[in-house]
Amino acid sequence: MSFFLPKLQTKREVDQVIKTVAERVLVLRFGRDQDAVCLQLDEILSKTAHDLSKMAAIYLVDVDSVPIYTRYFDISYIPSTVFFFNGQHMKVDYGSPDHTKFIGCFKTKQDFIDLIEVIFRGAMRGKLIVHSPIDPRNIPKYDLLYHGI
Amino acid sequence: MSQHDKELKEKFTKATMFPLKVFAVNPQVEDAQQFLKEVKVEKYDFTEHEQNFWCYCCKMEVKKHITNESLAVLYGGLLEHFVSSEHLKQTNTFWWENKADIKLKDKFLLSGDAYEKFKVAVAKAVENYEEKEDEYIKQEAEYIREVERRRQEVVQAGFEPQAEQNSVDGFPVFAVDRYESPGVGAYSTEDTEPGPSGVHFHQPNNMTNGQTLTFVGEQFQLSEPETRNIHTGATPPWLIVEDDPDTTPKPIGPSYEEFIQQKEKEKLKKLPPNRVGANFNHTSETDDSWLPSFGRVWNDGRRWQSRHQFRLEEGKKRKRDKR
Repeated sequence: MSFFLPKLQTKREVDQVIKTVAERVLVLRFGRDQDAVCLQLDEILSKTAHDLSKMAAIYLVDVDSVPIYTRYFDISYIPSTVFFFNGQHMKVDYGSPDHTKFIGCFKTKQDFIDLIEVIFRGAMRGKLIVHSPIDPRNIPKYDLLYHGI
Repeated sequence: MSQHDKELKEKFTKATMFPLKVFAVNPQVEDAQQFLKEVKVEKYDFTEHEQNFWCYCCKMEVKKHITNESLAVLYGGLLEHFVSSEHLKQTNTFWWENKADIKLKDKFLLSGDAYEKFKVAVAKAVENYEEKEDEYIKQEAEYIREVERRRQEVVQAGFEPQAEQNSVDGFPVFAVDRYESPGVGAYSTEDTEPGPSGVHFHQPNNMTNGQTLTFVGEQFQLSEPETRNIHTGATPPWLIVEDDPDTTPKPIGPSYEEFIQQKEKEKLKKLPPNRVGANFNHTSETDDSWLPSFGRVWNDGRRWQSRHQFRLEEGKKRKRDKR
């Protein structure tokens, strides 16, 4: 069962979503719809969206349509997935250099489900940063570039 | 029984094995001996004076004090018991069997003579007590009469014109502050009434003993019939039909939406209170330049500064781009 995940086109929509999703993890996928890795990730997201509906709300955002957020979230690779809870940004330590977002695609659906669960539990306990349950070998590798260079 | 057995029996009876050291003189008995010398008569109080005393020798309970419903003679019962001849026999047996200290035995016995003397003393004490009671009652009566008399005086004085009023002192509690709702005619004092007499004081400034009172209502019967109350049979307010009711009577209680909202609120309450963003206002209006709280990648310092830093960077960038 796959759903079409809702897409956000403007900054106002993104703002609205961040403010209104309550007591659930907000998953914002920043990428391009036709990008290969994004397609893979989108498939995982849409397949798990229904089962995770009580814990998470998933939205897709095109990086070209909201450049201000692309800059604000320091998005340099796509797909990048940012997590929020009740309007607060949730950081996750994946074992990679960037804790503010998840870069790349998940290896399996179960990895994503586990991650959402850990974020949700941490948020319920009042933690703004949690430790990822995903095996570090399954985390995509990248180099973190500094824009200022 | 052989001699050997008899000896054993002798040696291993309770009396020889556990000679009665612990059995010191019972403090109650000591007290009783004291009261033998100084008789004390008290007003009877059933919580205190119905106690019993356990006599070890006779192995029975004895009433400690003597009472006759109104008075009690302290330790009278105990002393009476000590005088009896059965007690004497039992005490002797007890002392012999348990090999107790002979010196203490005397304390537990009472000779007939001593008891006679005690009885006489009791009679006298009772007389004295009764005399004292009578005296006390007489004093009380005297005091009450005095108070009554003074009150009458004040009542009389109250009828005088207002110049006399400031001489009312020493009895601030009196009827000056209390209005009874009398009929118009109740101006005479009644000597036999215990409460304040139905006197109506006209006091234009209500100054008495330094108290300023607020005069609330009319006490005359002329005004009373205009407003009716429950005693005079008025209709209760909730049955009075008002002129402009709502055309449709509103249903009482919350509507369906309110009910749903209430349920949501209950669920919220059950969530842990220290969760992330618990106090986040989901319905606040924000302007176009609002940014969420985001811990950025390349900023130094704390999360709330990241927004500020971003805005600075944007500002610099815009300036750079414009050049």
